[in-house]
Amino acid sequence: MSKRRHISNKGIVSLVVATFVLLLFPTSGYAIPAFSRQYGTSCTTCHLDFPKLNDFGKAFKDAGFKFPKDDESFLKVPPIMLGAPAQAELWPHTVFPGTIPGLPPIGLRYNTFYQQVNSNRDNFNRVLPLDSVGNFIPKSDFQPGLFSIFTAGNFGSGISFWVDDDISVAGANSNGGLGDGYLKFNDIGRLLRMPMLKLPENLLNLRVGRFELDLPVSQARTWNLSGWDILSQANIGVQNGVSPLENVNNTFTMAQAAHGLELSGGHATQGYHYSITALNQNTSGATSGSPLGVGPQNAVSFASDSNFKDLYGRFVYRWNLEHDLASRDGVQAAGTTGPHDHTYLALGTLYFYGRSVQRISGVLPDGVTPAVLTAREPFYRVGGDFNFNYRTFNLFGLYLAGHDHNLVPVTTEGETAPSSFISSRAATFSGGLLEADYLALPWMMAIMRWDQVKSTADRVKFIEYDPAAPPGSAFFSPSSATRNRFTPGVQFLIHANIKASFEYQMRPKQIVYDPATGLALTKPFRTNAAITGLEWIY
Amino acid sequence: MKRIALVTLTAMVALTTVAHAGTIHGKVSGVSGVSVVYVEAVPGKTFPAPTQHITIDQKGLMFVPHIVAVEQGTSVDFLNSDSVAHNVFWISISGNKKLGHNLGTWPKGQKQAFKFDNPGVVALLCNVHPEMSAYVIVSPTPYFAETDKSGGFKIENVPDGAYTVTAWHEGAKNKSNPVKVAGDTSADFTLTK
Repeated sequence: MSKRRHISNKGIVSLVVATFVLLLFPTSGYAIPAFSRQYGTSCTTCHLDFPKLNDFGKAFKDAGFKFPKDDESFLKVPPIMLGAPAQAELWPHTVFPGTIPGLPPIGLRYNTFYQQVNSNRDNFNRVLPLDSVGNFIPKSDFQPGLFSIFTAGNFGSGISFWVDDDISVAGANSNGGLGDGYLKFNDIGRLLRMPMLKLPENLLNLRVGRFELDLPVSQARTWNLSGWDILSQANIGVQNGVSPLENVNNTFTMAQAAHGLELSGGHATQGYHYSITALNQNTSGATSGSPLGVGPQNAVSFASDSNFKDLYGRFVYRWNLEHDLASRDGVQAAGTTGPHDHTYLALGTLYFYGRSVQRISGVLPDGVTPAVLTAREPFYRVGGDFNFNYRTFNLFGLYLAGHDHNLVPVTTEGETAPSSFISSRAATFSGGLLEADYLALPWMMAIMRWDQVKSTADRVKFIEYDPAAPPGSAFFSPSSATRNRFTPGVQFLIHANIKASFEYQMRPKQIVYDPATGLALTKPFRTNAAITGLEWIY
Repeated sequence: MKRIALVTLTAMVALTTVAHAGTIHGKVSGVSGVSVVYVEAVPGKTFPAPTQHITIDQKGLMFVPHIVAVEQGTSVDFLNSDSVAHNVFWISISGNKKLGHNLGTWPKGQKQAFKFDNPGVVALLCNVHPEMSAYVIVSPTPYFAETDKSGGFKIENVPDGAYTVTAWHEGAKNKSNPVKVAGDTSADFTLTK
């Protein structure tokens, strides 16, 4: 039996664990009870089906977690002054006056899940010897979810903040607990506003800290039970004999939290919006220790694994399609029976550029002296998206392609280890998402999703690529180059802060092969799962 | 002599009028906050609609005031003082869904008037901000009053006679009692939720 055909129990366990983490700990999403308390208003003022924002919620966020106009007149709990406003005139001879929220801006969220997996779930146990104990997956299971604390608000002077943390330490984008934690200086363009320039409002914002990239759809704050596959796609190259060696091991995903700074401008509710982000390079997923005491005091590690800062840019333009001009320009469209989200079409594009770092043990050109060789492999992600909304119907989609330059280590004759790299075929992936949300009733939203990822690694696993080589992984690995997932769902707001969600994941097709003969033991099947979730925020 | 007779006659007329314009006073207990007490319709008697408009403001994501008692036929101006759009609608008037109405949406500084021709309790809502609510109590007669903080009320200028008087409170069951008004008359109500 060849090594690559061997499916180890350890590997299966790892895959099962990883898959279950993805399946059962859905991505985190937040609505902000702290704002409800401060403004004395319902979650539905800003959310359609929390945490999905309506147009007013988007404008509230754009304004720095404030009402777009006359914010102070809506606050039921006045902020605490950290200096009289008149102190501003004394600056720089005094600390510039700011505010903190009158109530601790704290919200809590908990969720719990139940899942039911179909009878195909244990098909992979067939590949084990008859007397082996496999990794049996229960047909049904109750799971605890997240217990998150989150705070957000503003400090006056257009400075807003956000910190969220998963106390139970789980969930996508939490990275061991901390989700996002940033300070945002809103509309700093106003400092440059001079009569002759006539700069528009919200031309320039600065966000610093840890935050999710400005994506077309937020994976960290998704309203779905499971995240969008394409946004969680890393680019891991293939290292077997089936295809040319790919020395690509880039763990970066679009959904992971970025450490850096972001310049942005425009509005989410109308016209243009842009953002440019410079963020830490970390493609290995590892952090470096700080044995020399370098870095911030008390720091124990560095989040970067390279000097290079990655760059991300996004531009989107939204056309509000209301006939009435006032309605078109308003935060929300005004209808005969009440304000509602605009009918709109938004088209956007995004581009990410980074350098993936691969370090291996090698030798200097003399072929003998040991050395660490570093390959800096440029990579990019590029995509386009659209978002169309008609009253309570929302259709949006994203196409994303990933490309990693592939530098393969070369060991020349007479060398004991690699001494250099040569460029080889790039590791790529592409795919996207398409989702339709229909708010049938103010408390009920029907969802239909399609996720697709097509990657180099998947292609190599594809049976037609090497019929003699069965997939090297088991649970939930696709049987073809393309992973398709259809996910219908429905969500119910029991109250504005309590939600029951259901989704049925029609997962990618799989095939079980005999590891010894390479013959298929099953017909293509799907390991579908029905997941129900309950979550509440307070 | 003529002058004395005129003064005497005037005094007698005045006393007669006072004697026929009684007062209902009392206390609404069992609940806290503002209640509304009003005299139910008097068979065979109609009252001219008031010409003065009453204003209900929408300010700071609240209806201000929260409870308004008006006479049947009164026009209420709904003003939006917030810099966000508001809506005003009601599902029914005293449970009669045929009388439900949606006034629509309007921006800051604008108002819409509505004439309440049907008596009953109108629960106002805003379909943008579900926490907002207010009540318009449309009295079929001009004889109504809102209670003070202690629950006390006083309805003045009620002609002597037999009436049905109803006490309303948000979240409590209405209570109607027969009251015979003869001058200064007392009527207490105990409401339950």
